[in-house]
Amino acid sequence: MSDAIVSARGIRKSFQVGDRKLEVLHGVSLEVGRGELVGVMGASGAGKSTLIQILGLLEQPTEGEVTFQGQSAWKVSVAERAALRNSGIGFVFQFYHLLPELTAVENVVLPAMIGSSMGAWRAARRENLQRAEETLARFGLKDRLKHRPAQLSGGERQRVAIARALFLDPPLLIADEPTGNLDSATGEKVLELLLTEREERGLSMLLVTHDERLAARCQRVVTMDDGKIQGDVRTAARAAAR
Amino acid sequence: MYRFFLSWRYLAARRTNIIGIVGIAVGVGALILILSIMTGFLLETKKSLRGTLSDLIIEPLHLENRQGVTVPYDPAPLVAAVRADPRVVAACAQLTWYGILGQSGADAAIANVRMADAQSGKLSGVKLVGIDVADEFATTGLRAALEAKPRFGGTRVHDVEHPFAPPPGYEPSGRLLPSCLVGEQLSDNWNLRRGSEIEIVTGVPDPKSGNFAVNNRRYVVAGTFRSGENEMDLEQIYFERTELADFLSSPRQFSQVLVRVADYEKDGRALRDDLSSKLGGLGLISRRGAGEVRTWEDFRRSLLGAIENERVLMAIMLSLVVVVAAFTIFAILSMMVTEKRRDIGILSALGATPEGVTSLFLWIAFLDALIGALAGAVLGVLGAIYIDAIEQWLSKVLGVQIFNRNVYLFDHIPAVVNPLWVVVIVLGAFVCTLLFAAIPAWRAGRLDPLEALRYE
Repeated sequence: MSDAIVSARGIRKSFQVGDRKLEVLHGVSLEVGRGELVGVMGASGAGKSTLIQILGLLEQPTEGEVTFQGQSAWKVSVAERAALRNSGIGFVFQFYHLLPELTAVENVVLPAMIGSSMGAWRAARRENLQRAEETLARFGLKDRLKHRPAQLSGGERQRVAIARALFLDPPLLIADEPTGNLDSATGEKVLELLLTEREERGLSMLLVTHDERLAARCQRVVTMDDGKIQGDVRTAARAAAR
Repeated sequence: MYRFFLSWRYLAARRTNIIGIVGIAVGVGALILILSIMTGFLLETKKSLRGTLSDLIIEPLHLENRQGVTVPYDPAPLVAAVRADPRVVAACAQLTWYGILGQSGADAAIANVRMADAQSGKLSGVKLVGIDVADEFATTGLRAALEAKPRFGGTRVHDVEHPFAPPPGYEPSGRLLPSCLVGEQLSDNWNLRRGSEIEIVTGVPDPKSGNFAVNNRRYVVAGTFRSGENEMDLEQIYFERTELADFLSSPRQFSQVLVRVADYEKDGRALRDDLSSKLGGLGLISRRGAGEVRTWEDFRRSLLGAIENERVLMAIMLSLVVVVAAFTIFAILSMMVTEKRRDIGILSALGATPEGVTSLFLWIAFLDALIGALAGAVLGVLGAIYIDAIEQWLSKVLGVQIFNRNVYLFDHIPAVVNPLWVVVIVLGAFVCTLLFAAIPAWRAGRLDPLEALRYE
């Protein structure tokens, strides 16, 4: 396996629910290689979401270590970890999670805005906006650039979210059921877009899904059940892709 | 960068912010307006409290010791010694005493009924003041008071240069009565006009026997004066000093010397102390009692202090309005943080730090405070400048007279804007708002971003 972009070792995660301690992950280890497309499957409540949030540096594991690009993610400062998320990981959520007050273009450039100081942003503003507009145009949203999320359809919103996730060219994409909220025809198109972009850019990707057909397109499928990894299968698709 | 950008967007998108901004604007505006008006009142009242008081007042105690009277009864040496000081512009001697005002002539019957009724509020104890006209004009504001346009139906003297000349058209059946000048409000109360006859009753202790002798004498009103000070216009009657001394049959020719100073603000207090020691050395004041030489502010200290206190009290009370406005910002921001949980989660997923999120909300508060405080400052200052027009408009619309010009003795609402205060108030509102905003902003930074992202 090529060197890992992100790896988790011996991850346990428990939540305090009232006075009960609920353990969601019972010692999970997973590595995602560079350029690898990994599907994560499992019933709801199996711990998929918690796992990818830990791999996305959003959640601190109760036990175990997460290494992102060779750096131990929870040993660096809050600001450094935020910077890793900013430029290293692109998130695509089931519910799009766009900021309602911003236009499509502004939502797309948001990672660049967050990552740069006032001066740096001003210097690169024009170029960033242009790049965002080009990406959105390529995604078929040429006429939707100045629209607010509320004025966009579900599929359009998800395309904006994908453009946002890709904007800073992060080495890792994390998609949590990106088509879960879309009808199948739209979902198909959005997924196609996401996979094509990933392919072209050669990014690593973690894709959480319920959909067997979707999983079949992944090079590797990790199956989770009850807070543990039950299966880790490299599929034929991998051979087909390479 | 996103902090500023987003704060601006949130501000524009959330109407509730306008409530906070308006709150701050109203608080700041009201504070500036009220303080300006209170300052104006203080200055105007100071001016009118002064009335015909001169800068310094010297009241020697005519005490006797074994060698006789220590301080001369004649004012000339004292006045001369005071005038010798280069800081003094003018000085004049006054003789004052008290009496009861009665009335003779046509209205005497009514006056007698009043005097007989012990409960009558109209019975007037009056202050009798004997003056030297030329010196008095040079020293006090009496000339202006005589020339002031009557407001309560008084009648001015015929010739200001000779105020004690018999009023034209005054043809007494008997002896020609000496003239006096009465305060305008007193004349209003007693229905006096130029040419009316009055009777003054007074009691004077005889310095030799110690017995109290009652004197009375009739005078003719030569005209009225309006100093603008209520008390003075209500109970003061001027006579020629020699005439009053004769009426009182007192050896004392004066009771105080009034002094006008070239630059009172600069020299007033120093001159008071210098004169006190100099005159004491010359034996022109007794130096046995404190405060024989006083400034006019010493005279009016309690009233001036009351207004100053009122101003401070108003400032404190109105500061609470600003605090309440800042609290509104606190409430609005708290609401916004709750409402924007999901956005905060998104921002952290995209790489925003907790400090970044905190400062985003602080920026919102900053913009609220900036817009609110500046708008308030502009409103307050404009309000203070155009307060009269505003009051007149409000009075007309509401049909109620808000500012009663008879009660206050000023014909406009005084307002003085102090730029330093405006700055202090604006900064205060700012600091207050940011302090209050810090709590929800800090909470926003500490929110678990994921909790917001998990569910829709």
